[in-house]
Amino acid sequence: MASLNLAEKEAIILEHESDPQRILNILLELQFRSEEGYIDEETAKLVADRLHLSEARVYEILTYYAILKTKPQPTYVLKVCNSSPCHFSGGTMVMEVLENTLGVPVDEPTEDGMFMYNKIPCVGACDSSPVIKIKDTVFGNLTEESIIQLLDDLRAGHYENL
Amino acid sequence: MLERNQPVLLERVYNMTNAVDVEEYKKFKGFEGLANAISMDNEAILDELDIAHLRGRGGAAYPLGKKWRHMYHSKGTPKYIVCNADEGEPGTFKDKALLEKDPLSVIEGMLIAGYLFKAQTGYIYMRGEYRQIQKIFQQAIDNATKAGYLGENILGIQGFNFKILVISGAGAYVCGENSALLNSIEGKTGRPRVKPPHLADVGLYLKPTLVNNVESYAGIPVILREGGQAFLDLGSEDGGGTKLVCLSGHIKNRGLFEVNLGTPLYELIFSEKYGGGSSTSNPLKFIHFGGQSGPIGAVDELEDCIYSYEGLWDKGLSVGSGAVVVMDNQVSMIDYLVNVAEFFVHESCGKCTPCRLGTTRLMELLKKFQEKRAQIGDIERLEKMMTHVTHLSACGLGQSVANSMKSGLKLYPEEFLAGIGKEVRKLEEVSW
Ligand SMILES: Cc1cc2nc3c(=O)[nH]c(=O)nc-3n(C[C@H](O)[C@H](O)[C@H](O)COP(=O)(O)O)c2cc1C
Ligand code: SF4
Ligand code: FES
Repeated sequence: MASLNLAEKEAIILEHESDPQRILNILLELQFRSEEGYIDEETAKLVADRLHLSEARVYEILTYYAILKTKPQPTYVLKVCNSSPCHFSGGTMVMEVLENTLGVPVDEPTEDGMFMYNKIPCVGACDSSPVIKIKDTVFGNLTEESIIQLLDDLRAGHYENL
Repeated sequence: MLERNQPVLLERVYNMTNAVDVEEYKKFKGFEGLANAISMDNEAILDELDIAHLRGRGGAAYPLGKKWRHMYHSKGTPKYIVCNADEGEPGTFKDKALLEKDPLSVIEGMLIAGYLFKAQTGYIYMRGEYRQIQKIFQQAIDNATKAGYLGENILGIQGFNFKILVISGAGAYVCGENSALLNSIEGKTGRPRVKPPHLADVGLYLKPTLVNNVESYAGIPVILREGGQAFLDLGSEDGGGTKLVCLSGHIKNRGLFEVNLGTPLYELIFSEKYGGGSSTSNPLKFIHFGGQSGPIGAVDELEDCIYSYEGLWDKGLSVGSGAVVVMDNQVSMIDYLVNVAEFFVHESCGKCTPCRLGTTRLMELLKKFQEKRAQIGDIERLEKMMTHVTHLSACGLGQSVANSMKSGLKLYPEEFLAGIGKEVRKLEEVSW
């Protein structure tokens, strides 16, 4: 995904009428369409400026909400639901398979910068547990084989939209 | 008259081919509730809501009729209508179905509120994880606006103006608490406010504000279309209507079900129509009701339990959000509670000390039992800490952290005793 230029960022802000009530909508959209999955300083400044907020406020918000990131993210962040319905129906298996296959502990990127996995609370797909969420896509009813398949497919670039 | 066992809330979810299409919505009795509302006296609307006895579906079970009456009489303008679509309680995915597959019913419910309270602005605060559904909901808003159901002079009624803004959350469970939610809409960090005052008096931008859950709003058109009594008859005396129930965990038929309040719990868990019993080869052990903030019941002790507000209260349980998380006998209560505690440690907003530190202390104590290195006196310490966090925390999050732990300790004391390390011996105490 190419990074957004200034005009594209401004368009996103305008789409939400530069409305400070919708700052989370704006930040999420900017982050999801950013190349490295985070809000960089320049973008944070732009949002502060257009919404007439201080930069400190924008950073307060960026650091408060779990989905918003202030640091570059690996290409694929695999979010594993860790809430109890999932955790006790395969969630721990998913964590083990990821650790064994990727060779890194939770919250640490692989050396090539391609993968990272972390625990997140319920995403509302509890009837398909265990689940991994990547961006807006949920992969459910996972087994060891399907997780390894997913990693292979991601590596091979079969999920262009993720 | 509505038949029991007929889907009322999920009918359109199951049958509509285009969820955001106004014409199709109308074919399924869409906007008939609104049409009735505008032909009724305001007092008559409030009376129907009282008769229906819809309890808030977000978790707190507060009678909606009472809340609306309070809002009706509250002074101050403008008034705001807010829909809580934060759906953060783990094990809950029912609002998602309505938002995605029947958004116009939620819009109709909010619109009826807008009409009754002469409010011109509504907000729906939807969790960040539902980003794609936010887009669907926006389409439904746009279509309703084009069809003249949102905007100005709605249905040709002078001064009936109403618009709805979709506000995104971004991954903070506490933003589902309604005052934190309002702060978040105001562009502040989403931490709870000190209450009272009641939000119906001092809410968004300090103006009277109605906050209801998605499923609560979706019930409003049903009540005004079919009448309060018909709605009440779908449920039981202590709470009318059907409830959307989310079955998850070790249960065969995981998923969303529309259940008449008053249905036997065992039917919900074991009948093929609903849960279908255990999904593993092991017997079921316990059920966690209403999300992580709810209490836990032992399956063996619930044979005569009725799934209704009072039926569950009688057993020290609650409906909460409608989450029903079922675990088999391979799951240790302590492991389960450690997982619950981790959730709350992660989600405590840190505004008040009893919750910020208390949740961590609770998790540490539970881990001692999990790792079998608890000491004599740790059960008492755990109980004291639970009481402390429950009574001194400022908002519903901290106040309900210990619900699951209290029931776990009461139901399975032997698992806690087994967590006390063998090498720890009780020394004789002497008076001094
Ligand atoms: C920590 C916390 C989280 C909550 N999360 C939600 C939620 O995600 N959705 C919801 O509708 N209510 C949630 N509630 C309950 C709301 O505060 C409020 O009671 C509800 O939105 C009122 O609507 P109702 O009466 O229609 O249920 C939460 C409460 C607390 C204390
Ligand atoms: S009880 Fe917990 S979540 Fe609620 S205000 Fe206090 S710290 Fe925040
Ligand atoms: S508990 Fe994992 S998606 Fe809900």
